[in-house]
Amino acid sequence: MSGTATGTLGARVRGLLRRPLRAWRHSLEFRTILISTVATTVAIIIAAVWTALAIQTELYDSRRDQTLADAKRAIDIVQSSLDNAAVATDRAATQQLRQQMLQDLNTASSTRFIAAFPIPELSSDTMPSGFTTRTDGLFEGSMVSDGLREQVRTKPESQWYQAIGLQHPDGPEIPAIVVGQQLEMPNVGVYEVYLAYPVSDVAQTLAFVQLALAIMGVGLVVIVAGVVWLVMRSVAAPIVEVSRASARLSEGDLATRLPESGQDELATLARSFNQMADSIESQIRELAELSLVQQRFVSDVSHELRTPLTTIRLAAGILHGERESFDPVTARSAELLYDQVARFEQLLADLLEISRYDAGSVELERESQSLSDVAEQVAESLRQVAWQHDTELRFHGADGDDVAEMDPRRVRRILRNLVGNAIEHGEHQPIDITVAQNETAVAVGVRDYGLGMRPEDTARVFDRFWRADPSRQRTLGGTGLGLSIALGDARLHGGSIDVWSQLGVGTHFVLTLPRGAAADMVAPIPVEPPDALTTGDLRAGNGPGTETLIVRQQQGREEDT
Amino acid sequence: MVDDDTALAEMIGIVLKSDGFETAFCADGSEAVDVWRAEKPDLVLLDLMLPGKDGIEICREIRVESGVPIIMLTARSDTTDVVSGLEAGADDYIVKPFNPKELVARIRTRLRPATPEDNQTLRVGDLTIDVAAHEVRRGDELISLTPLEFELLVALASKPQQVFTREQLLEQVWGYHYKADTRLVNVHVQRLRSKVERDPDNPRVVMTVRGVGYRAGASS
Repeated sequence: MSGTATGTLGARVRGLLRRPLRAWRHSLEFRTILISTVATTVAIIIAAVWTALAIQTELYDSRRDQTLADAKRAIDIVQSSLDNAAVATDRAATQQLRQQMLQDLNTASSTRFIAAFPIPELSSDTMPSGFTTRTDGLFEGSMVSDGLREQVRTKPESQWYQAIGLQHPDGPEIPAIVVGQQLEMPNVGVYEVYLAYPVSDVAQTLAFVQLALAIMGVGLVVIVAGVVWLVMRSVAAPIVEVSRASARLSEGDLATRLPESGQDELATLARSFNQMADSIESQIRELAELSLVQQRFVSDVSHELRTPLTTIRLAAGILHGERESFDPVTARSAELLYDQVARFEQLLADLLEISRYDAGSVELERESQSLSDVAEQVAESLRQVAWQHDTELRFHGADGDDVAEMDPRRVRRILRNLVGNAIEHGEHQPIDITVAQNETAVAVGVRDYGLGMRPEDTARVFDRFWRADPSRQRTLGGTGLGLSIALGDARLHGGSIDVWSQLGVGTHFVLTLPRGAAADMVAPIPVEPPDALTTGDLRAGNGPGTETLIVRQQQGREEDT
Repeated sequence: MVDDDTALAEMIGIVLKSDGFETAFCADGSEAVDVWRAEKPDLVLLDLMLPGKDGIEICREIRVESGVPIIMLTARSDTTDVVSGLEAGADDYIVKPFNPKELVARIRTRLRPATPEDNQTLRVGDLTIDVAAHEVRRGDELISLTPLEFELLVALASKPQQVFTREQLLEQVWGYHYKADTRLVNVHVQRLRSKVERDPDNPRVVMTVRGVGYRAGASS
């Protein structure tokens, strides 16, 4: 229970925090407003506190000085009147003198909070008792601290003061300053007299000033936040516009431009952006045109070659058909001519296919097909060739449904190429053709146990016209474009061809075709074959020459010319 | 044989001659139709790209006057030229470079005598097909079809309950034993419909079976 409760609470707190955090990370406007508001608030608080303190000090100081002066004047008047009075000798006279003194104090000072205590050490027996002018208990001798009284008692010439609270039994405390001084009744004794001056008006003034400062502070913070918001809006809106335009530009909308108005920095930004966009657009167009010209040239050349090639082929066909009646040299020449014309034709066809990929003008003819069926057909069609090469083809179909949308003609072409390569480089070892599937993709692996390739060769295996070993004799013909075309076909399907190879161990090509979105594709067949794991020792022993290299050729058209 | 490349034309001539055909040549598109009228060949081999007048235009002009089989020669199969040529009435096309056997096979398919199995009369939709006489009638009205269109219609009408895939029609009518261009079928079905249907948009004679192919409409 508690776990759930704290869980939901935690979730709620996180939920509450998420939005501001998100805004903080994502909105320059929010961040700027927040920072400037916080900074302004701090500055205003410091200023207001300082001002309030200064005013407070000033108010209290002047009030204190006033108070002290008032008290001093009153005491002085009373003292001089006491000094001038006839020396009291009896109790009645001292009582009268005390009464006179009380009255004088009341009239001479501006306060009604007066208390007096005789100082026993300096007083005779006839000294009258102390008094206080208040009967309501608002000001009593007990409110004066002992420390102050000690000071007053021992330092006769000075005024002493302290801040106290005048405590009404059932009312609020009234702040006050109490001033203490000695008052001598000649020949009778010395009083310590305390005059309390309420300063509640000062406190009121101060409270008002503080309130005014607080209101002003809050108002300023709000105004600053508002101003910053306005400024940010005028600055951030164009920046947001620029960032949107940049995003559109990067998505390929080359015609994106910003409105240029005014002469300020933002207009300069818009102009620079537009210039940049202009230059990008023109460069891309230029490149696209160049590339188009080149593609068209390749395509045109290939097509132009076709008409004379047709003539040559027909002529070679006639000669080839008649070779029985030629002398041996001419007959062999006719054969060579015939074979090489066929090769030339294949080369031209491959070249055209490549130029179609480059031009992006290839359309797949998709249909639902079982990859096992397609792969098995290819294996069957190449069994004769394999047999001639003394090579066994071992076909392993997929478990379960391996139907995927594919262009079977192209998939057959890919597999013919992979299996053909395996036969050619397989050193008469058996070749394993394995089909597998999962929910995201179908795949076929072609594994030979032949020569294998060096890592640097493996990396280049999909390059056009590239050959692992130029000196090696080709027995199955081929144009050097086969794997490039195979890769092009695989990519058209959103799939990939991966290759693993190790010198002296063999080569493993894996064609993977996605069933749905290519991005979600999980390879059903790992390109590194399971038996490769056992060759770890071999690799360590034989040095860098036998290192394994796995090349992943993912979809996405990186140009490799 | 209409081709501006005289070497190829001559070579094709040699190949065809060795297979027992006679050839006449024309290297200029603008003269092709005149040469055709003068020679009255059994079949026209037509290059698509010609000086003077292009192959598509020549094809259209010949079709106005005759249903003579026309095979186009083209260097590229992936352009709209091929479809335009088929739409203009060419029966088939062959992509350079071709081998001689292929060329001869294509020509023979187009020249083979229409198989007069028996003197049967087929009915499809509101049409009557006299197979032996090579005639198609709607009531008393004679509809003129090219031999290819006639063969296509007969193929469909002879098995009215069967749905033909495009591949089956390619094999039966065009003689392709491997996967070929299904545009051939699509274009010629359209051409056939434009001649035999009262409303080509709402066909009654050649019905489309979505996702499979075509079949003949019920006879009425």
